[in-house]
Amino acid sequence: MRPSALLYLRSRALPGALAALAGTAVAAAWAAWWLESRPDFDHTARLPVVVLGPLLAAAAIGSSLHTPSDELDRTAVRAWWPRRLAHVLAPAALAVTLLALAVPGHAEQFGALAAVRNTLGLVGVTAVAAAVVGARLSWLPPAFFVGTVYLAAPSTPGGGAQWWAWVMQPGTQAGAWTVAVATLTVGTALYAWRGARRVTGES
Amino acid sequence: MNVSTAVAVSGLTVRHRRTVALDRLDLSLGPGVHGLLGPNGAGKTSLIRVLATVAAPSSGRVELLGGDATSHRERTGIRRRLGYLPQDFGHYPAFTVREFVAYVAWLKEVPAERVPAAVEHAVARVGLGDRIDARMKTLSGGMVRRAGIAQAIVNEPELLLLDEPTAGLDPEQRVDFRSLLRELGTEATVVVSTHLVEDVAAACTDVALIESGRLAFQGSTAELTALGGESPDGNDSTTHAVERGYTAALHAHRTPSHTAKGALR
Repeated sequence: MRPSALLYLRSRALPGALAALAGTAVAAAWAAWWLESRPDFDHTARLPVVVLGPLLAAAAIGSSLHTPSDELDRTAVRAWWPRRLAHVLAPAALAVTLLALAVPGHAEQFGALAAVRNTLGLVGVTAVAAAVVGARLSWLPPAFFVGTVYLAAPSTPGGGAQWWAWVMQPGTQAGAWTVAVATLTVGTALYAWRGARRVTGES
Repeated sequence: MNVSTAVAVSGLTVRHRRTVALDRLDLSLGPGVHGLLGPNGAGKTSLIRVLATVAAPSSGRVELLGGDATSHRERTGIRRRLGYLPQDFGHYPAFTVREFVAYVAWLKEVPAERVPAAVEHAVARVGLGDRIDARMKTLSGGMVRRAGIAQAIVNEPELLLLDEPTAGLDPEQRVDFRSLLRELGTEATVVVSTHLVEDVAAACTDVALIESGRLAFQGSTAELTALGGESPDGNDSTTHAVERGYTAALHAHRTPSHTAKGALR
């Protein structure tokens, strides 16, 4: 790898973020296996895994969007948006792959499809949050959203809830996928265009 | 436009929410070291940030190194030839000085094969050669500031903008820094924002004095000194003379607006 690319990755603490992604995937795989192996539970008990795993992965990506040298970065010769786009999408692709592998089987319920959808959507929410409240706190809005929806979503899938409680839906709900992909599109576009909001007093 | 004019701004206005930081400022700067003086809050940092292309003006023309800084395409070429030391520049604390300066060289698109030598040269010029592989978080305030100056000169800029570069330097380092400034001023246009008049007296060929977002005085350092007149007590240093010139220029600039306000009451 070119030394300059390495400097960029290090300045955003991306090695740590990638390690966090890998750790999240391992923890998710273990939790999914453990929940499924409980005597009274079956594969539908993996719902918390396909919600919390993607949330943690999105938070790891969001925290890496912080730049310590914002003012100097603004003097960069080349436009930032392609690098910003890559910075969201490449780790998101990795997270999607890892989390899809973490919950094997029963994709129509709370398996790989739901994990992929939730990762894409929550990365989108995190990217919006980074652009609006800054990268350091970008985990907070998606965590709040997930927490609220987890408590408020009806137990039966589909219906109107698939639009707002999309993280709680089984993997094959079209409405939930639409919302997740739209969120990812809006989030990455907004972040690529604006960058993480600069928060005064941050070092 | 004169090719040797590195900075030509006209009607430059910068607003921060409701306050006006720069008010239809006209200024042009050629080669040499220009001291940018003014009271706190006069608009020095706002001006430097516009010249560094990190902030967009609310209105007005900004021509830098012969290109229009508000045009997207020309800005790219300008940025390659620009050096900037912000007042508060952030850095990744785990970087070494070498890595930090190389990171900025990468931002400025210094050709990759020239980066290692350019980094070492820049770091040596600010006298940090022996600490080049020390991590940024282990450096003292003055060393961090010198690393900041090194990143600003790594691409051998034709226009160098330094916002409060001497803050945090001890007297010896300031003396070294001023001689570096004079050296840089022979090959580039250097703009130094400061409120230390001794920096101006020792290192600057020209002075621009800003007050409330407007240009209060522009001329050579000698001209500013002359404004102060003779010292009343006879024993005078250059610094005192520049200080008196600074105060006289500010008073001269403020007087008309004060009488206007008085007439309104």
